Amino acid sequence: MSFSEECKSAILSGDISLAEELAHKVIHEKLDVNEAIDAFSLAIREAGDLFEEGEFFLPELMRSAEAMKAAMVIFQPVLEEGKEDRFRGKVVIGTIEGDIHDIGKTLVASMLTAEGFDVHDLGADVPVKTFIEKAIEIDANIICISALLTTTMVGQKKLIDQLKEKNIRDKFKVLIGGAPISKKWVEEIGADGSAENAVSAVKLAKKVLED
Amino acid sequence: MGSLLINQGLEPGIPPEYWNVSHPENIQKIHLDYFNAGSDAVLTNTFGGSGMKLSAHKHGNSVEKYNQKAVELVKEICPDDRYIAGDIGPSGAFLPPVGNVTIDDFYENFLEQAGFLAAAGVDFFFIETMVDLKEAEAAVKAAKNVSNIPIFASITYQKTKRGFFTIMGNSVIDCVKTLEKAGADVIGANCTIGSDEMIDLISLISNETNLPISAKPNAGKPQLHEGKTVYPTSAEEFSVDLHQMVKGGARVIGGCCGTSPEFIVRIKEKL
Repeated sequence: MSFSEECKSAILSGDISLAEELAHKVIHEKLDVNEAIDAFSLAIREAGDLFEEGEFFLPELMRSAEAMKAAMVIFQPVLEEGKEDRFRGKVVIGTIEGDIHDIGKTLVASMLTAEGFDVHDLGADVPVKTFIEKAIEIDANIICISALLTTTMVGQKKLIDQLKEKNIRDKFKVLIGGAPISKKWVEEIGADGSAENAVSAVKLAKKVLED
Repeated sequence: MGSLLINQGLEPGIPPEYWNVSHPENIQKIHLDYFNAGSDAVLTNTFGGSGMKLSAHKHGNSVEKYNQKAVELVKEICPDDRYIAGDIGPSGAFLPPVGNVTIDDFYENFLEQAGFLAAAGVDFFFIETMVDLKEAEAAVKAAKNVSNIPIFASITYQKTKRGFFTIMGNSVIDCVKTLEKAGADVIGANCTIGSDEMIDLISLISNETNLPISAKPNAGKPQLHEGKTVYPTSAEEFSVDLHQMVKGGARVIGGCCGTSPEFIVRIKEKL
């Protein structure tokens, strides 16, 4: 098995210790870190595709993301020293106040971290004020707000309205998520987008930062 | 129940079970509307009434009070020939790698709630909206441990390209076999899937078990129109679909998200 195949197998089988072992090998044997990360990234995208196809479910995708995160932690110091900038952006993520559903949000946070975003997960039942304070504090690029209930969705609008009032709406991309979210709601409240699932959410996060 | 409470002003962040003590007349009126519409059984307002779920809302000290009161509210108005179903929904927590609780946590959680419901006098347990078969299994075993009353166990499936699965990847056959073994008396499906898509699912379940089957679909997928949540399936369409499910093997039928007493009236007309 080639090294990249091993990386792929570690991610797709969700084998955290194998992923760590491979990452250490890259560091110790001074292999190309970028190449290794590419191999891991390719695998996590494949895990995402399998999820969308209905081959992978929540536990498999979560394990893959955890394995990817474990490898990235080991690469981090090397990336910080080197010139290679794999850093994709800073994200503040949470489930809106009044809503304690955090499974979708947690999955998106894991996938974003696995793909190299610097993710600050505020948890569930998070007040609008906390989202904004954290986003300002860390100078975030993206704010992701999840709402599973149609009654808490209005919190997403409230957040965007408050950003506008503070004249900082343009500082952040705001992505919204949750089962009841529609394209129409995105437009109505002036968000920058929403995605069907965690895999599409990562694609969307990359896209909005390129725009 | 949930849809109606939201329409009546239940605030985000407040557990619906709190209304058993704060707005008992609203809860009782909803139950009465369902009995009047022709329901043979109504579910107590205890879907999120387990300790783990209430704790997430910071109401963890009120498990006994909310569950007991919920049953009393139905009891006071329940006609002699109708039934009280003790509603038990998911804990809201997950096993690793998704979350960090254990199967024992699930079991203890449901043991407590089922105990209060049984002591207050429900006629059967309705365990529903379970997305993890292991959690459903723990709930059935816990319910079995506290009482001999019948246990209905209903799973929430999603339709994938490969068929029906829970978000944890449990197949229909796994769910049916595991719940049967755990001691469920009725096995079924509810939530997420609309009535049109649930017709096929019920036939699949029916192929796997001789136990009675329950079907409780949503009124389609929710959409938002001018800030209001709308479920697209009408009571008429819903009742036609449920009629199909009865032909496909369902013996216990009802409505989940987006349904109302009007749906029950229509269903009764069709049967």
